Amino acid sequence: MIEIKNVSFSYSNSKAVSLSDVSLHIQKGEAVLLCGESGCGKTTVTRLINGLIPHYYEGEMFGSVRVGELDVSKAELYETARVVGSVFQNPRSQFFCVDTTSEIAFGCENMGLPEDEIGQRIARAAEEMDVIALLRRSIFKLSGGEKQRVACASVSALQPEVLVLDEPTSNLDMAAIEKLWEVLLLWKKQGKTIIIAEHRLHWLMDICDRVVYMSRGKVETDCSMREFILKGDNRLTEMGLRPLYLKNFAHMNGSRKEHGGSIFLSDFFFCYKQAKTPALDIRQLELPKGKIVAIIGYNGSGKSTFARCLCGLEKRCRGILNEAGKEKKAKQRLKCCYMVMQDVNHQLFTESVLDEVLLSMKEPDEAAAVKILDSLNLLPMKELHPMSLSGGQKQRVAIASAVASCKEVIVFDEPTSGLDLRHMKEVSENLKQLSEQGKSLFIITHDLELIFECCTHILHLENGKVIGNYPLDFEGCKRLKLSFGSTVETDFIDVRKKANFTFNCRLQRANKT
Amino acid sequence: MRQSILQSDVDARGLVIDPRTKLLLLITMAVFVLGSVGIAQLSFINPVLCLIPFCLLLLSRRIKVAVVSLLIYALIYLVTMLVMPHTTGLINFLLLGTSVVVMRLLPGILTGMYVLSSTTVSEFTAAMQRMHITEKLTIPLSVMFRFFPTVADEFSSINDAMLMRGVSFGGGNVGKMLEYRLVPLMTCSVKIGEELSAAALTRGLGGSVRRTNVCRIGFHLADAVVITLCAAPYAGLLLSRCGVL
Repeated sequence: MIEIKNVSFSYSNSKAVSLSDVSLHIQKGEAVLLCGESGCGKTTVTRLINGLIPHYYEGEMFGSVRVGELDVSKAELYETARVVGSVFQNPRSQFFCVDTTSEIAFGCENMGLPEDEIGQRIARAAEEMDVIALLRRSIFKLSGGEKQRVACASVSALQPEVLVLDEPTSNLDMAAIEKLWEVLLLWKKQGKTIIIAEHRLHWLMDICDRVVYMSRGKVETDCSMREFILKGDNRLTEMGLRPLYLKNFAHMNGSRKEHGGSIFLSDFFFCYKQAKTPALDIRQLELPKGKIVAIIGYNGSGKSTFARCLCGLEKRCRGILNEAGKEKKAKQRLKCCYMVMQDVNHQLFTESVLDEVLLSMKEPDEAAAVKILDSLNLLPMKELHPMSLSGGQKQRVAIASAVASCKEVIVFDEPTSGLDLRHMKEVSENLKQLSEQGKSLFIITHDLELIFECCTHILHLENGKVIGNYPLDFEGCKRLKLSFGSTVETDFIDVRKKANFTFNCRLQRANKT
Repeated sequence: MRQSILQSDVDARGLVIDPRTKLLLLITMAVFVLGSVGIAQLSFINPVLCLIPFCLLLLSRRIKVAVVSLLIYALIYLVTMLVMPHTTGLINFLLLGTSVVVMRLLPGILTGMYVLSSTTVSEFTAAMQRMHITEKLTIPLSVMFRFFPTVADEFSSINDAMLMRGVSFGGGNVGKMLEYRLVPLMTCSVKIGEELSAAALTRGLGGSVRRTNVCRIGFHLADAVVITLCAAPYAGLLLSRCGVL
């Protein structure tokens, strides 16, 4: 179905080679997992297949790419769109329309299909992807998981033979991932060819039958999922990959500090305009000071609202933070709290990394700024423009300015979404370092690995209420795993059961035809 | 979820009027209210035109915006009528300035806000197609409908970031403050624009076949009312040119 032959590619704005001499042959109906560290070229491979390279992202390309009968690198993009459907990483920026129904219709409209057929296709895709309840809604009101499912439905309505997914789960919670899992299973049953580039591997074990591991623009390993699983998690860690089994995570926070006092929150109540139920409803809450607290819960459970209220960004929230007898209202909290946003591009303003840190200081002190930069390994970049840095470096610059402004409470909004193992560990090292300096850290996250790597306390929210507030000791670990749902506790036998089920379904379909 | 004023909401829209009517309204507002092309005999028509956006905003359930801006407009109108004739010098000059800016710009801005917030991308493209306007123009314009709400969203995030850094317009250099807002806004907008186009292209936008459109648009009673109101100043202008009025 897909034939990539000796392809080398380098983007026109960079000197580095993204792919060198990659060849892949993918059969019809195969489900292939592309994995590897960030920057290994897996996204580039997905772009080769959907034709965005060389038609949209320009660069120097050698070799040929064929999908079915189509020569992708020569065919126009709208011709490729009939055969290959794509789902992207960022749910915010892959919608062309502002409402869900027209978004699902969008692709079909571009193909010039007759109106009543489009209607049928919308109905069918909505049925398959379980988005009927979401039809005719504004996309600005959907959660990340819902958006991603609508994106899948919109691709599905075009009925392509090949589906390409580029890190579709990086903004999703566990429940949304399980939904996406069902979508993929369905596509697989329909005999579609699936190519998925992903960092989180655990949910794909029983979907993909083949694994392509890439490193520095080359295919390093190309094996069946079975062989891949047999390699074991230790080998995967060496390869810079996230583990296959969430179950195997061990808690490893040896350097637990003594209890350092508490922060008391009271009357954290917040209701968005025009919303009927409050997004946040917390009467009393006691949280440890100077620890790393993970804030968990499903998309839309009030985590971000809690963080915004904690930082004092929502002025209408009348909650009070009491720390060692000192009461702080929203306005005072704004002075002592800092949030590292999910999209750090929003908070870098100046022309150089050093200026960024100096801007945050009450009295600019270059020597102190240099010291902070050095502690975060940013000294070599101090003269560079923040926007020219990589994602992880930008995040460190944001952390540096938080440190420089002497804020006591630092909130991180999903600091590891879409990061590979190495970068996730880097973030966790930074977090631990900040914690040792006595800062109180709050981390909104869906990343169980990160929690086990560095957090010491859990705050679990649901529907704006606290349903769990416990230290991450032995008992806490058990409870945490339970709250992360069934995916964590599945082991290989369950996976085989699921795989068998899939296989049976496929067999039945084959018998029918 | 937070929702900004520019984001169109298909759940609870209230009155729906055809995008072509909206376009006519927008042009009429620009010509007669912003450009004040009207003639002296028909000066009563301008306030009537100015009332249209307030009514439409009310009918599309944006009550707070409508009421607040109507109050501002009424206040300025009264001041211009009652207070201004009794003032002289600098105060007169300042009042004149504000009244001109508010009375001319506000209705236009409100109409623009109404059009952006009440039109979905597919309604807009359907309307453009009915008017036989080339896709080369329609596609960039429809991207704009999607783009503005997103940029507004980005802007509010950047504002939050500025608040946390304690950087605000209060003191210091205004130029720097603008720069700090615009630099991240530009980078984010470029990035989002790029990803949006990539997503649209992989769904076959820009093909050689004629696009179909599932969105049903058409003229109804409300359209007739708005169109009649919009036609009045043109008719007046024409009649005065012919020497009838």
